[in-house]
Amino acid sequence: MDELDKRILNEIQSEFPIVVHPFREVGRRLGLTEDEVIRRINGLKETGIIRRIGGNFHSGSLDFTSTLCAAKVPEEKIERFVETVNRYPGVTHNYMRSHEFNVWFTFIAETMEEIEEALEEIRAESGVREIRNLPAVRMFKIKVDFDV
Amino acid sequence: MGYSQPSNALPGVVRGRKMIDERDKQVIRLIQGDIPVAPRPFALLAGKTGMDEEEFIRRVRRLQEEGIIRRFGATLRHQEAGFRSNAMVAWRVPDDRAEEIGKVLAGFQEVTHCYQRVPQDDWPYNLYTMIHGETREVCREIALRMSKAIGIDDYLLLFSEKEFKKTSMQYF
Repeated sequence: MDELDKRILNEIQSEFPIVVHPFREVGRRLGLTEDEVIRRINGLKETGIIRRIGGNFHSGSLDFTSTLCAAKVPEEKIERFVETVNRYPGVTHNYMRSHEFNVWFTFIAETMEEIEEALEEIRAESGVREIRNLPAVRMFKIKVDFDV
Repeated sequence: MGYSQPSNALPGVVRGRKMIDERDKQVIRLIQGDIPVAPRPFALLAGKTGMDEEEFIRRVRRLQEEGIIRRFGATLRHQEAGFRSNAMVAWRVPDDRAEEIGKVLAGFQEVTHCYQRVPQDDWPYNLYTMIHGETREVCREIALRMSKAIGIDDYLLLFSEKEFKKTSMQYF
């Protein structure tokens, strides 16, 4: 990744132009041709630095609800548990973390009842009883663009 | 390596219905994944609907203006981009100071997410921040600075040890 790649990344994380020729516009801002911008972005996707380009939504305004869940999973049950949890499309992020509550995942659904039912299914199927549901009451910040 | 200035997130609102119609849902379906890297990506997407390119673009812009799209653009794999460590920091703060402290923590440039959550009887942590750094040591130092800034030293540092899933929500 060179300086030009970094400038492109910083430009397209939050200032991606919603116009007919977005990559031409990015090129215009940075003094590059449209072809060069497209070639470099494809390279950044191939090397895995760019996960995707698209919209990120405020789930609440689409009338969805979301929560953070934490589970205490014995070592030997982790694989099975993760497989069960990840099957739900509403589970968008799932990480192992350094604590006795070692599996943390986010869950988006239309209602909290739907999430609670899913957690009950997960408990029954995995045998893991201790899953905490920690819904947000207030959001102070969400910012996922990185200055590279 | 630093972080950019805060973007256009809307603090505060956790839920609140906005008006969207069936065509908006079609648009959302097509931009919630990965758009094509081609000269006219919105024309390609519009071609999958009954809309023309102009209407498609107009709807994306409106969804963005209304805050339904909180950010449109590239999402990075931050490990690949040099941020190799991330930690969730769970704080136990007095309820009547949660708002004041939440704002202070959100002001740290290293903090990407900051939420107040409902504590439970045997789980007293009520503020959650995500921090990113080059190493675990850097994350520890950031948490210590945050702790000193708010005068609270009851917190858990939950380092990410393995990513099991990271995807974008398919809403419709």
